[in-house]
Amino acid sequence: MRFVAAVLATGSLFATALPAHAETGVSSSEIKLGITLPLTGAASPGYNKIGDAMNAYFKYVNDNGGVYGRKITLIQKNDEYSPQLSIAKTNELILKDKVFALVGPLGTANFTAVHKSVGLARRGVPSLFLNTGFSGFANKKAYPTSFAILPSYAMEAKIAAQFLKDNMAGKKLGLVYQNDEFGIDALGAFKAAGVKFDVTIPYTSGTQSAATAQTWVSQLAAGGAQVVVFFGVTSATAPLLAVAAGAKYAPQWILGSVGSDPLTLRALGVPVAVLNGALTLSGNPSPNDTNDEYVKFFQEINTKYNKAAFDDYVLQGMNLGLMTVQALRAAGQNLTRKGLIRAMENKGSTFASVGYSPLGYSKTSNVGHTGYYMAVMDATGDRKPYGGSVVVYTTDSGSGPVVKSTFKRPALPAKGLPTNS
Amino acid sequence: MELWRKARDVVRKKIFFFILLGWVLLIIGDRVDELRVYQGAQIAMYSIALASIVLLTGYSGQVSLGNGAMMAVGGYSAALTLNNLQTPIWFAFLMAILVSALFGSLLGAAAARLSGPYLAGTTLALAVGLPAIANQFTFLGGEPGLLFDIGFPPESFGEEFTQYKWFFWIASFIALISLFITSNILQSRFGRTWRAIRGNSLAAELAGVHSSRMKVLAFTISSALAGLAGAVLAMTISLVAPGAFTLALSFALVTGAVLAGISSLPGVVLGGLILVVIPEIADAVANRFGDADKLNNYLPGLIVSVLLILSVIYTPNGPGENLRKHLRKKATH
Repeated sequence: MRFVAAVLATGSLFATALPAHAETGVSSSEIKLGITLPLTGAASPGYNKIGDAMNAYFKYVNDNGGVYGRKITLIQKNDEYSPQLSIAKTNELILKDKVFALVGPLGTANFTAVHKSVGLARRGVPSLFLNTGFSGFANKKAYPTSFAILPSYAMEAKIAAQFLKDNMAGKKLGLVYQNDEFGIDALGAFKAAGVKFDVTIPYTSGTQSAATAQTWVSQLAAGGAQVVVFFGVTSATAPLLAVAAGAKYAPQWILGSVGSDPLTLRALGVPVAVLNGALTLSGNPSPNDTNDEYVKFFQEINTKYNKAAFDDYVLQGMNLGLMTVQALRAAGQNLTRKGLIRAMENKGSTFASVGYSPLGYSKTSNVGHTGYYMAVMDATGDRKPYGGSVVVYTTDSGSGPVVKSTFKRPALPAKGLPTNS
Repeated sequence: MELWRKARDVVRKKIFFFILLGWVLLIIGDRVDELRVYQGAQIAMYSIALASIVLLTGYSGQVSLGNGAMMAVGGYSAALTLNNLQTPIWFAFLMAILVSALFGSLLGAAAARLSGPYLAGTTLALAVGLPAIANQFTFLGGEPGLLFDIGFPPESFGEEFTQYKWFFWIASFIALISLFITSNILQSRFGRTWRAIRGNSLAAELAGVHSSRMKVLAFTISSALAGLAGAVLAMTISLVAPGAFTLALSFALVTGAVLAGISSLPGVVLGGLILVVIPEIADAVANRFGDADKLNNYLPGLIVSVLLILSVIYTPNGPGENLRKHLRKKATH
């Protein structure tokens, strides 16, 4: 009996010695964050650079005192773009590594599965800046702890539709789209906007090849399409443009944001010259635009901490890092998961980000960037704003109108180190 | 009469063994943390899938690389049943078994005419092609897939009873029952006939075995098991999507089956364990070296491939089989 009493007494001593409420993944000197993304496998090219880029920015922040004295540790886990692995790895992040929050998880099917199976909302785990444009994640009730970053595919298609009506009226239109969430969201938006295509070619993800591109090109050419809109992934853009160039078929290409990364296109063997004059929807400045203060700064960070070929993915990764640090700062010195979510809701829309369009975060919305501008690519694969200056259009994923944005992007914090609170 | 009593005793012992195993699992499930419980559910799922390979390849001698596709059939059947008919969960699992069995019997009818590399090639094509079909039909949900939500555990289990423990219970229960039934089938006349066909199909036919009919039967039962495993997989990830049933899954299953001993049913649990543990080991190894992230990405694949190659070179029947033979030899000496 005396023994039991002694044990109880020591136990209670220890209990009182512990801090009142320590948040998972946060100590006095460290904040642990996690990301799942395809680092190897078919879907990895490009995306596999996002984690390292984010980490490079975190290293820079850590070298400059961290976030309220806490250093950020980012744990990257490879999910090979498979939902099972995504869940297994997220489980490791949350149950074993005990991360504070997820940042930049990648892939629509993956995040859907992770959110449900791991129970992110139930566990109250903040999931910031989902790297997917699926409009379904904009449901704040279903995804109360998640926040998107990319404008949705539906927004993209609505803005493309507006562009077609304004600039390509009277021309014969063609559409090639991936027959899944990219394309279906897009198709609906084009229909709603009243844009009719003379040639429509759906394709199934995974079937893209030089041989199938041959049939697309002959269909498009036979239908006399003068403007061809493409909504799909880069591995399909590559054969399409290459085959068309070989066949001397040169319509005005309009490429969706997902399938128009010049570096990846080039790596896939598309002659750079075919990109010349192709239009693309874009939310960020060109990664080569050193006149842009964000790009210039991130390039410096890349040279010092990352040493990867600087492209859209690296730019995106570093920008996610910048936004994450602002979110962590906004949540205050007494960092909690609930506090982080509140900070995103209350202050998220004011964060500095490289994207040209406004951020849609609020108490009722977890939507990130909300717009696009049209850019034109040159013979080196670089892109410049269409018409000489950036004209951003914003809209929502529903039936809202497409409007020209008057939003002024916040300036980059001095030395790229946020001081917000 | 004597034989009958012996058989009944064997079955009784087996029932007792499985109940004991279930009881041990229950206790383990209570003692370990959430991550381990989730991994336990995965091991149970892999065990069912591996049992389907043991039955098909180890016993009836038909090589199939398409088990991932069969799992997809089961997973999608279960999800469509649950989502569209709002049935109880057990009915969704039952539909997974029935639909994939039907699918397997059709495939088996074609497969019975093929053998060796031709059969492997055909089933490989199925593993590549079938999951992509989901993209063609909107009712299959395309790339993002369909949700498969079995709901929260019953409230009477209490607050502490986690979702993963619920998955673990269901998966283990299904695995125990299906392994029990499979082990009985394998020890029955069917199991013996399959082994006879695998050994020498001509000799088996001369002895009066209808070999193609028996092969179709093996395909049907194996597909039913794979489909059930697919439904259990869908439960643990709350989703069916083409990305869940990749070629990599089919290959991982074959590797697991070979490592565990392709013709040993108890080995499937070991195989499931190996498939779940390898990434963990890779993690631990990678953490000992500097750039853990980079190394960790390639290590699991490397370990699986090396194990498979070593196993095929040194222990063609799988290390599990060799170990058992070794033990048996010891026992007789």
